[in-house]
Amino acid sequence: MNKIRRMAIACAFTLPVAMSVMAVEPVKLGLLEDQSGNFSLAVIPKIHATQLAIDEINAKGGILGRPIKLIHYDTQSDNTKFQEFARRLIQTDKPEVIFGGFSSASREAIRPIMDKAKQLYFYNNQYEGGVCDSNVFVTGAVPEQQFSTLVPWLMEKYGKRVYTIAADYNFGQISAEWVRKIVKENGGTMAGEEFIPLSVNQFGQTIQNIQKAKPDFVMTLLVGNLQSAYFEQQAAANLNLPMGSSIQVGQAYEHKRFKPPALKNMYVTPNYIEEVDSPASNDFKKRFKAKYPNEPYISQEAANAYDAVYIYKAAAEKAKSTDMVAVRKALEGGGICTDGPQGKVCMDPKSHHMSHTIYLAHVQDDHSIKFPKVWNDIQPYWLGEAGCNLAVKADYSQYTPSNPPKK
Amino acid sequence: MDCPGATFSKGLAMTLLTTVYSFLYQFGDSFAYLTLSALGLAVIFGMMGVINLAHGEFVMCGAYVTILTAKAGVPLPLAMLTGALAAACVGAILEYLVVRHLYNRLFDSIVATWAVSLITQQAMLIFAGPSIEGLSTPFNSFELGDYSFSTYRALLPFFAIAVLAGLYLLFFRTNYGVYARATIQNAQMAKCLGLRTPRIYSMTFALGAGLAGLAGALYAPTITAVPTMGSSFIVPAFVTVVTGGANVLLGVLPAAGFLGLIQSGMTAAFGQLAGQIGLLITVIFVIRLLPMGMGHLFNRR
Amino acid sequence: MTFLNKMKTTELPKAAATAVAQSTGARPWKNVADPMLLLIVACFFTPLFLSQGGVSNLAYCLIWTFAAIGLASMWGFGGILSFGQTAFFGLAGYCYGVFTINFGDSPLSTWAGVLSGLLLCMVLAALLGYMIFYGGIKDVFIGIVTLSVTLVFETFMAQTAGPKWAIGAARLNGFNGMSAMPSLSLPGAGAEHILLEGNYFLFTVLVLLVIVYVATKKLLSSSFGLTLEAIRENPHRAEMLGIDIRRYQLLIFIFGSTLAGLSGILYTAWGSYITPSSMGLTASAMPIIWVATGGRRSLAGAIIATVALLDLSQELVVYGSQYALVLMGFILLVVVMLMPAGVLPTLKTMFFRQ
Repeated sequence: MNKIRRMAIACAFTLPVAMSVMAVEPVKLGLLEDQSGNFSLAVIPKIHATQLAIDEINAKGGILGRPIKLIHYDTQSDNTKFQEFARRLIQTDKPEVIFGGFSSASREAIRPIMDKAKQLYFYNNQYEGGVCDSNVFVTGAVPEQQFSTLVPWLMEKYGKRVYTIAADYNFGQISAEWVRKIVKENGGTMAGEEFIPLSVNQFGQTIQNIQKAKPDFVMTLLVGNLQSAYFEQQAAANLNLPMGSSIQVGQAYEHKRFKPPALKNMYVTPNYIEEVDSPASNDFKKRFKAKYPNEPYISQEAANAYDAVYIYKAAAEKAKSTDMVAVRKALEGGGICTDGPQGKVCMDPKSHHMSHTIYLAHVQDDHSIKFPKVWNDIQPYWLGEAGCNLAVKADYSQYTPSNPPKK
Repeated sequence: MDCPGATFSKGLAMTLLTTVYSFLYQFGDSFAYLTLSALGLAVIFGMMGVINLAHGEFVMCGAYVTILTAKAGVPLPLAMLTGALAAACVGAILEYLVVRHLYNRLFDSIVATWAVSLITQQAMLIFAGPSIEGLSTPFNSFELGDYSFSTYRALLPFFAIAVLAGLYLLFFRTNYGVYARATIQNAQMAKCLGLRTPRIYSMTFALGAGLAGLAGALYAPTITAVPTMGSSFIVPAFVTVVTGGANVLLGVLPAAGFLGLIQSGMTAAFGQLAGQIGLLITVIFVIRLLPMGMGHLFNRR
Repeated sequence: MTFLNKMKTTELPKAAATAVAQSTGARPWKNVADPMLLLIVACFFTPLFLSQGGVSNLAYCLIWTFAAIGLASMWGFGGILSFGQTAFFGLAGYCYGVFTINFGDSPLSTWAGVLSGLLLCMVLAALLGYMIFYGGIKDVFIGIVTLSVTLVFETFMAQTAGPKWAIGAARLNGFNGMSAMPSLSLPGAGAEHILLEGNYFLFTVLVLLVIVYVATKKLLSSSFGLTLEAIRENPHRAEMLGIDIRRYQLLIFIFGSTLAGLSGILYTAWGSYITPSSMGLTASAMPIIWVATGGRRSLAGAIIATVALLDLSQELVVYGSQYALVLMGFILLVVVMLMPAGVLPTLKTMFFRQ
C-alpha cells in the first residue's frame, strides 16, 4: 500500500509539471528570408512584419495557448542557401510551418523539398501566379488580381496603345502575357514589347524604341535594383509617358529612392502600401513604426507577411491543432480570413491563394501617392477557373496561361 | 512658301540626321559605360596584374560619397571629384593593408579582393541600409526629330575620352607617369635606379581606385544607389580590359569602341538580350582572333 | 648530359618532362595509404553518430568537391584558371534533368542521365578547349573567355521561361529553374527502386569521391601529370623539349570540366532543381575561392576547403545572422594573408616539416 501511495503522490506532483511543460511547447515557425544580398531591400520589411505579428500574437496568448517561436535563417538572396536551410529546418528544427521566399526561383528551389517532406509552406510574395500545390499557400497577389484592375482603367484614361517593358524571365514574361491578353480583350493594341535581361541597367535604346512606337502608356514590369535604373534614365530623357505596373513602388519603394520626378505618373496596383489612409492601415503603421521606427518603407509584402501569420493562426485555431495535415484541411475548408492592414482578406480553398483589396496608387510629381480607386475583395480566380481545385484533388505543380492544368 | 520638294527633302534630311545621331548616341552611351567601368581596372589589373574583384566596391564608394556630399549642398562637379578622391583614399588604405602583401602571388589577390568585396557590401548594408535616395540626372533633355535625349548622357562619352586623354598625359608626360611605367615593367631595375617602388605601387593602385570611383560618381545620378550597385560594372570592366590587352591606353579605347559598337548595334537591331549575349560572344571571338588583346595590334616594340 | 645521350629519341620528351618536373621540385607521391583517402572512407561511418540533418548536409557539401578537384587539377597542376566550372555544372545538371524527365525515374534512366550529362560536358569542353588552347589563348585570357561563356549560358537560360523552350517533355523554365527530376536510384527487389536519398545518397557520393580522388591522384602522378606540371612551370621550355602543350592542356581541361559536370548532376539529383543562377558570376567565383583557400596544388586541400567553407558559411548564418558575410570575408582574408600556399600545404609544412 505504501508503495502505491508513494507512487500516487509522485504522480500527483510530476503530472502537473509535465503537463505545464507540454503546454508551453512553442509553435515553431521557420522563416527563410533574405536579410542580405540583392533582395534584402524588399525583404527586410517582410521579416519585420512577420516578427511584429508574432510578437502581437504572443502577447495575446499565442496560438492555442502556445507561443510562436520564430526560427529565421538569412538566405542571403542565394538559391542554394534556400535549399540548404529548408533542409535544415525540416530535418533538424522540425517547424510546424515554414514561411519564406522572395524570388520565384527561391520558391521553386524549395518547393520540391517541401513537397517531399509534406511540409506546410506559405509563400508571402506577389509573383507570376500558377502554383497549384497542396503543401503551398500563397498570400501574395497574382497577375489576374493586379492587371485585370489596372490595365482596363489605364486604357480608359489614356488610350489603347500599350508598350510593355518586362524583365526577361518567368515573372516578366508571364506578366507580359497577362497584359497582352487583357489589352486585347479591351480592344487595344500592343505598340511593342521588350524583354530586358536581369543584368541590364542601361536603357538608352529601349527609351528610343518607346519614343518611336508612340504608345499611350508604358507597362513597366521591371525587377531588381539594376533594372530600376530605367526610371531615372527615362526621366532624364524626358520620355514623359504615363506608366503602369504591378510590381513597382509596392515592393521596392522606388518612389522613395529616386528623386522626383523620376516616377511621376506611375500607376501601380498593390494590395497595400504605406500611403493607404484607412483606419486599419493607420493602426498597422502605428504599431509597425513603434517597433521599427527606422523602417524605410512598409511595403505590400510586409502586409502580406503580417496577414500570413494571422491566417495561419486562424487556421490552426479552426483545426484546434498545429498538425500540418489538420491545418491544411482547415484552410481547404474555406472561411479562413483575417482583418489586417488592407481590410478583410480570405484564403481561397481551391487555389490556396488569397483574395485582396487592390489599391490603385498614382505617383504624383513630387512622389506623393493618391488613390483614385480601390477595388475590394478581388479573388484569385484564374487557377480555379483553369482547373486547379486543391480542396478536392492534390497537385504539386506550377501552371501558366500557356500551360494550364490538364482537364 | 516652300515648294513641296523642299519640305520633302528637309523631312528626309531630318529623318536621316535623327537616325544617324540616335545611333551615334546609343554607341556613345555604350562606349562611355565600357570605358569608364574599365579604366580603374585597367590600371589595377592591366598594369599591376592584381585581379581586383573589389572593383565594384570602389565604384560604389565613389557613387555613395558623391550622393552624400551633393545632398549636403556641395555642387555636383565638386561632389563627383570628392567621390573619386574618397575612392582613391580607400584604395590606398586597401593597398597598404592587403594588396601590398600579394604582389608576388597575384592569384591570391582573387580571394583577398573577393573577401574585401563581401565585407564591404555587407557592412554597407548593415550600416547604411539597403539603399539611399539618389540624385537627379543633371542638365535636361534635348529633342531631335521624334526622339528626346538626355543631355548628360550625350556628354558622357566626351567625359570618358577626356579622362582617357588625361590618363595619357599623366602616364606619358609627367614624372610620375615615367616612374609608374618603369616600375611596372621592371620593378627590380626601377628600384636599382632609385625609385621608391612601394610608394609608386601605392599611388598607382590609388589612381586605379580613384578612376573606378569616378565611374561611380559619373553614373550615380543615373542608377540606383544600393550596396551592390558596383556589381553591374565588374563584367564590362573585365571584358573590356582583357579584350584591350595589357596596354592600358592603347587597349581600352579600341576595345571599348569595338565592343560598344557591337553591343549598341545588336541592341538596336535585336533587343537587349541580343546586345548582352552579343557583347560576351564578341569578347570570346576577339580574344580568339587576337590572343594578346587588341592593344597588341597597336603596340610598337 | 651523358644521361641524355643514352636516351632513344622517342623517349626524349617523356624523360625530359620527368627531368624538368623533378628539377623544379615536384615531390614524388607517397605510395603509402593516403590520409585523405582514409578520411573519405571514414566518412562512411558518419551516419552512426551524425543526425539525419548532419548526414544530409555532409553529402551536400561533398557534392561540390568534384568541381573543386577538377579546378585544382586544371589550375594547380595545369596552370589554367577557368571560370567555366559552373557553366559545365549547370549544363550537366540541365542535361540530367531533361534526360530523366523525358525517360522516367527508373534506375537505368537516372544513371543513363548521369552518363549523358558527363558526355555532354566532355564534348562541349573539348570544343571550347580546342578553341581556347589551339587558338593560342593563354593565362588570364582563358579566365575571361570561360567567364564570358558562363555568362552567355546564364543570360540565355534565364530567359527560356516560355512554353517553346522545352526539350521533349522537359520545360527549361528559365530563371525559375527546372524541377521535378527524380533522384538517383538503384534496382531493388521487386518493383520498388532503392531511392538514393539520405544515407544512401551519402554513400553514393562517397563512392564516387573515392573513385575520382584515386583516379585524379593517379593521373596527376603519372607522366601525364608530370608533363602538365612541367608545362605549368615553364611553357616555353616544355615546348622546346618537344611537348605539345596544347594537347595536354586540352585534356586536363576536359577532365576538370567534366568533374564540374559531375557536381552539377549530383546537385540536381539531390535538390530536384537546377537554375541559371547556378551559373552566375558569384557562383562561378566560388570554386576558385575554395581551391585558392585550400591550396590549389593540393587535391586534399581542395576537398577539405570546399566542405569546410560551405559548412562554415552555413554555421555563420545560424550563429552570426546578418554578420555572416562579414565574418566569412574576414576569415577568408586572414587565411589568404597568413597562409600563402593555402591552408592544407601550410599546415602540412607546419606539422610535418618537409
